Amino acid sequence: MSPSLRRLLIGVLLGLTAGLIYGWLLRPVRYVDTAPDSLRADYRTDYVLMVAEAYRGDGDLDLAQVRLAALGPLAGESYVAEALEYAVANDFSRTDLDTLNHLAVALRALPAPAEIGGP
Amino acid sequence: MRRASWLPLLLGFLLGAAGGVYYAWVVDPVEYVDTAPASLREDFREDYLALIASAYAGTGDLQRARARLALIPEANPAEKLGALAQQRLARGRPQAEVQALAALAAALGERPTPLASTATPLVGASSTPPAGRPASPFPTRTATPTRTPLPTRAPTATPGAPFALLSKEALCEADLREPLIQVEVFDAAGQPVPGVEVLVLWDAGQDHFFTGLKSDVRPGYGDFAMAEGVVYAVQVAHGGEQATGLQATPCEDEEGRSALNSWYVRFLQPALETSPTTPTPEAPATPKP
Repeated sequence: MSPSLRRLLIGVLLGLTAGLIYGWLLRPVRYVDTAPDSLRADYRTDYVLMVAEAYRGDGDLDLAQVRLAALGPLAGESYVAEALEYAVANDFSRTDLDTLNHLAVALRALPAPAEIGGP
Repeated sequence: MRRASWLPLLLGFLLGAAGGVYYAWVVDPVEYVDTAPASLREDFREDYLALIASAYAGTGDLQRARARLALIPEANPAEKLGALAQQRLARGRPQAEVQALAALAAALGERPTPLASTATPLVGASSTPPAGRPASPFPTRTATPTRTPLPTRAPTATPGAPFALLSKEALCEADLREPLIQVEVFDAAGQPVPGVEVLVLWDAGQDHFFTGLKSDVRPGYGDFAMAEGVVYAVQVAHGGEQATGLQATPCEDEEGRSALNSWYVRFLQPALETSPTTPTPEAPATPKP
């Protein structure tokens, strides 16, 4: 290997190392201005539980759907099902499970959205 | 080392750094996953706070609401919730949401100790839970006999019973910056009620406000700034007795200072059934908003 090539490779390694030290140690990523769809699973589940608790209080299913829409593009029912799964796996209380289920049932009872199709 | 021998090293360094940035920005850019509520953008954070309040309105579980609020760093959560209620009221958001914010602000405002020190984390409550352990700070696990305390829900007015005018009193307070209609609302048990909508009416229009938005005053209290020369009437929204003829006129306080007078109006929700033991709220000292 020629000395020039060796120096080039050493430079690449030094550059990568410097980049990683800068990115991981000096200025690591700080999460700011995130949206609810990026919440960790436990926070996400609690978010859905809050929506369900609020729905239990005010009975406003439209508002519950708007709140669930902040979690992503899927139907609200999917997020509630996901939350129920997490809640069961993590031994949530009976009351919490009932609250989530109450919302799930209400969402399932909604008529399916009309499909946009051909003539 | 000769100058020429540095060139490959420098070139390599630049190539390496550029490669690192390309990898970080294009090949495998940062994806926001597994974030915490504290990192939410301001508007989402406000929605999150409103959701905490709405959930509290649904369950009455103040301990859980406190644990959730602790995830969002705020110097004074009660104040923030009160301000948020006012903003959302002005924006025409659903009344249930505004009332929930007001009720939670009032419930927190009753306890002046800073939230961070009083928040009792539930099972595993931590903003950075240990790795490998499912972090679910909020729901009570059935396996753990952590008994949820009795609900400490802020009192709410019983639906159906219209509020009656209990008293109407002119006050001369030179210390106030502007004359106010000060309203305090009590339920049938004589307890102050936050989150009650109060209508203010005058010849040229009307406005409304909610009780309980000022965490430093009693929870059933709310006020409205009066303009000189306008005659106002107030009533609890959705029916009930009106207090009429409220006007800011020149007056002199006990120390001889000139001011425009304010009004202190109290509404009481009568018990649905006549009861000889219905308590009457004690006459409180004049509120100092």
